[in-house]
Amino acid sequence: MNKNYGIIAAFDTVPSLYHACEQVRDAGYSQWDAITSFPIHGLDYAMGVRRSKVPRFSLAGGITGFCTGMSFIAWLGWVEYPLVVGGKPMFSPMFAFPVSYELTILFTAFATIGGMFFLNKLPMHYHPVMKAPQFVRASDDRFYIVIEANDPKFNATATRDLLAKAGGKDIVELEE
Amino acid sequence: MSAPVSTASLANKFLGAGLAGLAVTALGLFVSDAHGVALSYVVGITYWTAVAIGMLMLILIHHIVDAGWSTVIRRQFEHGLSAFKWLFILFIPLLVSVWLKPGFVWPWMDLGHALHGGHGTVGEDILYQKKASFLNRNMFTGMTLAFFAGWVWLSARLRKASFTQDGDGAAKRTFMNRKTAAFGIPINALALSFAAIYWMKSLEYHWFSTMYGVWFFANCMRAALAFGVVITWWLYTRGDYKGVLNTNQLHCLVALAYAFVVFWAYVTFSQYFLIWNANVPEETFWYNIREHGDWLWVGMLLLFGHFFVPFLSWLSYRRKSTLKPALVISIWVAFIILVDLCYNVLPALKDAHDEPLPFLSINLLWVLSSVIGVGGICVWSYLKSFATAKLIPIRDPRIVESLTHHEATAP
Repeated sequence: MNKNYGIIAAFDTVPSLYHACEQVRDAGYSQWDAITSFPIHGLDYAMGVRRSKVPRFSLAGGITGFCTGMSFIAWLGWVEYPLVVGGKPMFSPMFAFPVSYELTILFTAFATIGGMFFLNKLPMHYHPVMKAPQFVRASDDRFYIVIEANDPKFNATATRDLLAKAGGKDIVELEE
Repeated sequence: MSAPVSTASLANKFLGAGLAGLAVTALGLFVSDAHGVALSYVVGITYWTAVAIGMLMLILIHHIVDAGWSTVIRRQFEHGLSAFKWLFILFIPLLVSVWLKPGFVWPWMDLGHALHGGHGTVGEDILYQKKASFLNRNMFTGMTLAFFAGWVWLSARLRKASFTQDGDGAAKRTFMNRKTAAFGIPINALALSFAAIYWMKSLEYHWFSTMYGVWFFANCMRAALAFGVVITWWLYTRGDYKGVLNTNQLHCLVALAYAFVVFWAYVTFSQYFLIWNANVPEETFWYNIREHGDWLWVGMLLLFGHFFVPFLSWLSYRRKSTLKPALVISIWVAFIILVDLCYNVLPALKDAHDEPLPFLSINLLWVLSSVIGVGGICVWSYLKSFATAKLIPIRDPRIVESLTHHEATAP
């Protein structure tokens, strides 16, 4: 038999999923997810999800972009091709600013998109929940909670009991 | 929602402070250089008009885009609009001076005013003559009356429809406000641009800048949003907003203020950069006199204090979504906008050598007394209006959406 990936439980309504998420959150699990066919307002709070780390990528991208613009133009004016234009100095942050500003935006956008894909690990062509019975209904009328076996608090019996107590149905273990 | 506490005594305190500030400013006319006092008063009244213009614009934008989240906060801006009629009354002394003592506030109004360096008088100046059909006392008076007529009229329409809706809950009030917004935005945009040109930019009428109206607009929006955060803090600590306001609405309000930090920087830098790059004397002189003496440091204060400080502090989500840091930064922004207006107006005061008088001078006292004077009246007007209507537009079609406003991430 393959390695155990985790346990999946189905829920029929949004409130039952929401309260189940609160119980899983309060039980201290960290490696788990809720699967819904549409966004549920406040579910992130019920799950105890922290704010995204994507903005840190954005900031790093923005700083890189600004410094790239400034340093390229400074290098061009001072080193590579010194040329007096309109009586202006070889380099001034004034005329380098529009380009640096545009590069700040461009690099921020790239870093944000890249950071998002890095953090959410998309695209993902295979996921063990695909094997769960009736999982196809996740895109229709059912909601699921998956708790992964690599969670430090994971215990095959206790985790199953927690999900059952929270109202989970069709609880099955998933193979990797 | 706790029971509303009366604001009457608070309103009276602000009225007292306002009258005292106006009295001190009037006294200044006799004990100090009257032209300096007059320009300080221009700074004071423009500052509070900017706050009201920004609030008007925020309400108009709210209606034109059919916004949801801002419905809760919109009511306070509607109260703020009540200040326009008082601002007009406070502007009357300046209009009177235009006719009784031309050139007392705006030197170009006196055609016999001698230009420095033996360049004749204003009336003989070709750059004035070319602009004379725009820069004359009739136009100035008529335009100023038109600005205030537009502002008072738009404010009255918006306030009436919104306050009446509290009673009848009719959706047609919302549609009426949307129509008002459709023609109100261009009216307000033109009025605020021309007001900036006539009241401030014309002090140095040789100068050209197509960015000036947009620069003033940016300050108007930032001022209104800064005071929006102050009002939000006041209503939250007073208890009114408990259970009404949530983190998400505050975050949206401050995020909007943050967007205008960048907008202000974009516009202000563009103005500087284009003039720097073109290097035409008719334009560069304006910045040259602002690099004279301590004005250079005021410029630096604006660069760092008006842009970098709020920009870097508000990068963090926490400082946008928590009341205390948002308040502290907003108060700083409200203060630095005043410095920005001083930077635009006060260097028009020249010494015998045609150099600008320093920033650090007795005129700062008259700026302070004017800001307290006009501001006291405006806040008094806000508080009086505050007592006459419900805390939030309870029957606005978007109020539930606003109260339950939720953004995509957890607080």
